[in-house]
Amino acid sequence: MEHLLPLAAALPLVAAALLPAVAWRRPDAAWGWAVAVGAGLLGIVGLLLRRLLQDGPFSYAVGGWAPPWGIELRFDALSAFSLGIALVGVAVLVFSGRYAQAAVPPQRRAWYYSLLLVNLGGLVGFACAADLFNLFVCMELVSVSSYALVAAGGGRIAALAAFKYLVAGAVSSLLVLFAVGILHALTGSLNMADVALRLADVEARGPVLLALGALTAGFMVKAALFPLHLWLPDAHASAPSPVSAVLSALVVKLGVLGLARVLPLFAGLDWLVLAPLHEGLAWLGAIAIVAGALAALLQEDLKLMLAYSTVSNIGYIVLGLGLATPLAMTGGLVHVFYHALIKATLFLAAGAIIHQAGFRTLRDLRGVGRAMPWTGVALSLGVLAIVGLPPTAGFLGKWYLLLGALEAGRPGFAVALLAGALLIFVYYLRILNAFYFRAPLREQILAVREAPLSMLLPVMALALLCLLGGLFGSGPVALAALAAARLAGGG
Amino acid sequence: MDGGWQHLDYFAFVALFCIGLYVVLAKSNLVKKLLGLNIMETSVFAFIVTSGMVDGGTAPVVGPGIDAPFASPLPHALILTGIVVAVSITALALALIVEIKRQCGTIEADELKGAE
Repeated sequence: MEHLLPLAAALPLVAAALLPAVAWRRPDAAWGWAVAVGAGLLGIVGLLLRRLLQDGPFSYAVGGWAPPWGIELRFDALSAFSLGIALVGVAVLVFSGRYAQAAVPPQRRAWYYSLLLVNLGGLVGFACAADLFNLFVCMELVSVSSYALVAAGGGRIAALAAFKYLVAGAVSSLLVLFAVGILHALTGSLNMADVALRLADVEARGPVLLALGALTAGFMVKAALFPLHLWLPDAHASAPSPVSAVLSALVVKLGVLGLARVLPLFAGLDWLVLAPLHEGLAWLGAIAIVAGALAALLQEDLKLMLAYSTVSNIGYIVLGLGLATPLAMTGGLVHVFYHALIKATLFLAAGAIIHQAGFRTLRDLRGVGRAMPWTGVALSLGVLAIVGLPPTAGFLGKWYLLLGALEAGRPGFAVALLAGALLIFVYYLRILNAFYFRAPLREQILAVREAPLSMLLPVMALALLCLLGGLFGSGPVALAALAAARLAGGG
Repeated sequence: MDGGWQHLDYFAFVALFCIGLYVVLAKSNLVKKLLGLNIMETSVFAFIVTSGMVDGGTAPVVGPGIDAPFASPLPHALILTGIVVAVSITALALALIVEIKRQCGTIEADELKGAE
């Protein structure tokens, strides 16, 4: 039991390293291996979560070296996002079985699964990291595997999009590493709790501000916060669909979780007022909500539309962090989890449709809802959830954000939030309209067959979670409120 | 004045970082962009390695005749990891550039815009 926490991150990473050897003689075994590891990860995270709910946050000292000298892993309320990582991970791995056969060249298939597992392991490690350097290393595991996964499907746009993503991602990683170096030079420690304590005694203000600025800018690029989102749409739209689901649902959350981890480090300084930074984040979030939704409205390509919707939804989360009231932060953090489920549903459903129909623009896909009833239902459920209609998963986050904006006495942000929801409603009406109520433009659409079971099953399971998420919301909300209280309390 | 000169190296790292960022943003050739990225990486690595420096410090190896002060070994260990990450990013980027050249016939960003 004691060693479950390091195992959660180590299992996918070790399995990823072994996977090419497993698939050497039997290429078909790669998928089964990856799915088994995903299921194991889900089980471990479930046990960790149970312990978190029973005993509260707990730590693990790697190698028996006590923190702050050794490496500490910590499972707290913010790490509970691991559940979202594991759920989306399993769904994506199961879905990939049939999808990769068509979309990924055979010689790359073992590497594809291997990279996916590295990505998941890095994400779990990032969520559980308690020291700054581990945070950086896990972020790099996730980022480098993401760059490669974007290009895994091949195609001229994919390689270019992957390169653009790589440059933006590498620059932001360097900003974070630079800041980690400054903080280490100032405090002599890397453990986050320890750094927060020691920063209070640091007299040099310039370097502290520089570190804060570099961390914020770096994580903003990772989160694709408007106006630093330019790398996102191409990368998310041209990647293979299961990869798009992982990128949009999980990988952009690195930036948000990272911000939530490092901002409290600076909260204990009496000479530093974080309010202007929060104000700026709230404004950027509000602008991102509206700008992302407007951009999505103008897209014809189904996956580009979903990619811009991610820009908009990151805006919601950052707005919550920026408003910095307990309710708003709870809303933002709940949305981190639920947006992961919703966006994974949408991208996997869209991937199944594009895979079966062979088209990807709304015009060409007209009428596909009748040819693929189950996938269509799953996509519609995801749509309802992302608009935020009451019983669905998307409702809770937006509700708490709205309450938080009013609590903070900023009705202007509440208006931006509702305007964003309205715009989202309009562009998803476009999708539903095209899928169900327009006459097909292409004759082939009528002959499209429903997706195979191995693709349909994960999509339907996630769609069900989206639908019922709002009803089982008390657990995630309680955890998010806990994390928000720690954020507001300064560590 | 004295304090400023002591930290001359820090200003050099920031300048190097900015030069790298300029190359990444301004150059249109993808290989040159990658070189800019490597310049940025070098500046960050050099900064962190020198931050472990202690005046008159020796290597932290315990043995007869070796006394404190020691230089901090931790930044070096960190940067070893950082270099591994940087190398893998460079390798991946070069592979992507080869792929782009093969598919689009050019590696100039402004020409690629037309190719999209």
